[in-house]
Amino acid sequence: MNLENILTGETDGAVYSIGAVARMVDIPASTLRAWEERYALISPARSEGSQRLYSRAQVEQLRFVKAQIDAGASAADAHRLLAQEVHAGRPPVATDPAGGPRALVLIAERDPYAAELAEHFLRTEGYDVAVALDATHARQLFHQRAPNLVLVDLLVSGNAGFRLVDEFASAGPAQVLAVSAVDSGEEAIRLGAAAFLRKPLEALRLVATVRDLINAGGPVRTSRRQPARA
Amino acid sequence: MIERLPSGIARLDHVLNGGLLKHGINLIVGVPGSGKTILSQQFAFHNASAENPVLYLSTMSEPLDKILRYGEASTFFDRSAVHDGRVVYEDLGHVIGEQPLDDVLSTLDGYLKQVQPGLIVIDSFRAFHQVTHDTAEFRRFLYGLTRRLTASATTSLWNAPYTREQALDAAEFAVADGILALDIKRVAERELRVLQVLKMRGGSFRAGEHAYRITEAGFDVFPRLADTGVDGHYEMSSTHTATGIAALDALLGEGGYWAGATTLIAGPSGIGKTLMGLHFLHHGAETGEPGIMASFQENESQLARVVAGFGWSIDDPSVRILSRSIVDLNIDEWVYQLLDLADESRAKRIVVDSLGDLALAAADPVRFREWMFSLTRRCSRAGVSLMLIVEVPDLFGLNRISEHGISHLADNVVLLQYVQEGSELARALTILKTRAMRHRPVVHRYEITGHGFALGDAISLTR
Repeated sequence: MNLENILTGETDGAVYSIGAVARMVDIPASTLRAWEERYALISPARSEGSQRLYSRAQVEQLRFVKAQIDAGASAADAHRLLAQEVHAGRPPVATDPAGGPRALVLIAERDPYAAELAEHFLRTEGYDVAVALDATHARQLFHQRAPNLVLVDLLVSGNAGFRLVDEFASAGPAQVLAVSAVDSGEEAIRLGAAAFLRKPLEALRLVATVRDLINAGGPVRTSRRQPARA
Repeated sequence: MIERLPSGIARLDHVLNGGLLKHGINLIVGVPGSGKTILSQQFAFHNASAENPVLYLSTMSEPLDKILRYGEASTFFDRSAVHDGRVVYEDLGHVIGEQPLDDVLSTLDGYLKQVQPGLIVIDSFRAFHQVTHDTAEFRRFLYGLTRRLTASATTSLWNAPYTREQALDAAEFAVADGILALDIKRVAERELRVLQVLKMRGGSFRAGEHAYRITEAGFDVFPRLADTGVDGHYEMSSTHTATGIAALDALLGEGGYWAGATTLIAGPSGIGKTLMGLHFLHHGAETGEPGIMASFQENESQLARVVAGFGWSIDDPSVRILSRSIVDLNIDEWVYQLLDLADESRAKRIVVDSLGDLALAAADPVRFREWMFSLTRRCSRAGVSLMLIVEVPDLFGLNRISEHGISHLADNVVLLQYVQEGSELARALTILKTRAMRHRPVVHRYEITGHGFALGDAISLTR
């Protein structure tokens, strides 16, 4: 990773470490390495220090493979399917029709700096983002824009975030991701949040969590019912 | 429990109770030459990863090339980390334009989004003070900076060339969550590097000044021994350690000192104190209790000759020698050499020759007593018997033992002195004190033979 490349906006370059990718796609790093050697299909770039660096496109390809395997295919079949997609010039993208890369995330966050960072990270990943800095505006945007996911700071407008989690979770179908500087995971989950993250939010963790929640659609995969914790 | 960002320097992390405050603002203050940049880089390289790179920002006061050039001389400097962007060095100096402080903030916004650093080092922070003389403007800048850093998942480490006193008045002090001060103290004619935690929000740390040293490998820290003594009950040993002098064991009644006890051997020059120590160690070696001779009096060659004179060998692997001169001796640093060697050699017996040398090196008598208390405590808890040799000036009668206030810490005190018997000068031994043992405070004659100590009859002193 090179600062100049990053600052010139080459965010689609090879930036993700194998550890980060393993977390994002929920496949162990050892498996990623084994697949790379066995199928020679998803081959990440190497840094000067010989570290693997994955691009966003490769992360998408891995998600595709993972989705095939989750649907019952073998790893070999999943890679064959991926090869067909690539040959056909169809870059695989997140497959869930309800989600998709242009899903809308509503951020209800009291801290403008935190909101700006979260917005930037999510937009970089291809999401549409709407930001509300208080509870009233958040409600308004929620009903106007029907977001796929709402990121709620529990302490927005005093402690109105707790009520927002409750309201948005009951209203559905948006997933609710609660965040707070204070460890409030228990309460947030009880009120209906799909996950809780402790602030400050790490970019990779935020993106991975949002993507998981939107793509996995929450209750379909039971393992996702466990609250994610920072 | 607030998460910590370790330095990778075990004893520094021990002082910091784990490391810097993760996602917090940490300040390293210290006079020029105290090693702020070295320590910052050590934190940088230890915590750098592809997912959480480290952003190292130099400011107007420190040219980046200089930081890099001297940094590279350290063994922890990892060029591959710089190449593949796990550690990103940038110079804030050239982004400064018409609105310097605003430029810093907007540049930082860019870095937070694009580099997504897990750790940001600003070296040095004082440069920002020099940009403006408007206090209100500076505080606005500081507030803006703090807001941004708090919102992002990054740990901050700011350097500033302040003394500990100046640090208290600096505006950064209020916004910093943790403050570590580096200082160079002048003790008599010597320089002593010490570090001290001045502030640590929401967490504990080891209070007080801790000695440190800077080597090619970076920082080495020697946390002050400060065992409070309230750390609970521990199992006292119920066995005895023979002194190596059979007649003395008999005199002590139970076959020696209690294991883990501290014994003070006091006497004038040439009376045989070191020899008593050697008896103690070599008897231990013969009975499966390794030991350490920690000497400031004699170097290894000198000691080898003394040892050989009594039929022992300096090469006995069960008796390790820790010898050094008192020149530039730092007792906090030295004690870790001793404790590390004791761990490594599984020592059960330690002889220190002599206490006066340590007291001299310590400079501060109050601190020395604390230190000594902690050392005896540690040895006792570990079941290590400690023998401390003390030189007294009086050849004959004894007015007082100048033992630096240690005798009340000692479980046993043995006095060696010269006595006059008619026209002859004889050596005599008296057990002045034994804790939790019965003894008879009788003066016994002894001689030093080719086999060492030969304890003789009780004598009555005539003056």
